[in-house]
Amino acid sequence: MTQQYSRDDTKMLFKRLRETEDPALREELARLHLPLVEYLAKRFKDRGEPLDDLIQVGSVGLLKAIDRFDLDRGVEFSTYATPTIVGELKRYFRDKGWAVRVPRRLQELSLRLNKVVAQLTQDLGRSPTVPEIAKATGVTEEEVLEALESGQAYSTTSLDAPTGNDDEDTPHRLDRMGEEDIALDNLEYFASLAPLIEQLPEREREILYLRFFKGMTQSRIAEHVGISQMHVSRLLSRILEFLRSGMEGEADY
Amino acid sequence: MTSRTIRIVVPAEAGHMPLLRTAVAGVAARHGFTLEEMDDLRMGVEEAAVLLLRQSTGEPITLELELLDDRIDAAVSTVTNGEGPAVDPESFSWRILSSLADEVHTEHDGALARIVLTKHPTQSLSA
Repeated sequence: MTQQYSRDDTKMLFKRLRETEDPALREELARLHLPLVEYLAKRFKDRGEPLDDLIQVGSVGLLKAIDRFDLDRGVEFSTYATPTIVGELKRYFRDKGWAVRVPRRLQELSLRLNKVVAQLTQDLGRSPTVPEIAKATGVTEEEVLEALESGQAYSTTSLDAPTGNDDEDTPHRLDRMGEEDIALDNLEYFASLAPLIEQLPEREREILYLRFFKGMTQSRIAEHVGISQMHVSRLLSRILEFLRSGMEGEADY
Repeated sequence: MTSRTIRIVVPAEAGHMPLLRTAVAGVAARHGFTLEEMDDLRMGVEEAAVLLLRQSTGEPITLELELLDDRIDAAVSTVTNGEGPAVDPESFSWRILSSLADEVHTEHDGALARIVLTKHPTQSLSA
């Protein structure tokens, strides 16, 4: 019964969303289907990434699905959305993923370090140093550096990797009040960048603003946005790379 | 105050920029910086290097890391196709550099341009 109601709700919400373009309806639909994202994200949880990050990534897929879903096709939304969400998760692993041949030993250490770094950040109340990480992990500083480097490798290689053709999303104007509006105003001050920044997903735009206009540290942004610091770091690198390539006319976020 | 310098010279080609990032991160790690600060320096050096690469005449790009007791000065320099400073203080790049480093300044001597980022490790200072 509940399921039936929620299906009807979904249909009605989509109908109204298509008529009104009201972002509140889009958010409501996203909220309603978050359990689906959580369920799918859990299928990827043994690959060493924090579940929260995976849910964030999956949510991007969910929003894409919401924007593309065609009521007239007669499929259930959840049926339609599942491959999009899973696709987004797979793409995340592929992008960050060991595109370069990283020795297994380093992959494992790199995954372990993610956890150690998260724990130390919490314990110390700040980002840890390499000696601190080495001590907590029981490996040498050299090994920590090597593993961190291999984890970073993704950010240079993924630039050359094809990003797939599912990226032509029309971005949604910011409709939230307050901070985000200021963000947009400030960012738009840089006129040449404005069209590029418009293409960034809302969260990426917010991260850009918080880091470079509010001077927030990565850890604080991580807390603010609800993802890990290492994820913030990866997103920042990716955003900067996107802006750079965009200024040379080859942007594709 | 003791000071030591590490100097790396690479061809002005995009493919060599990751080496500069890696170098600065490795050096920063041994100088007591936290992961986040290492990351800031890495991104800052990359931004400076990309800026100079765009204006390069093909002459090599040099990264000089000056290790001081309380900080690292990371200077990226090359011969540019202009005669002015390599970064416009009104630009978004300047905003990025100044968010990532504690201090940024530019130097130029004819066509030779330098971007210098200064960063202090918070940990070793308080320790």
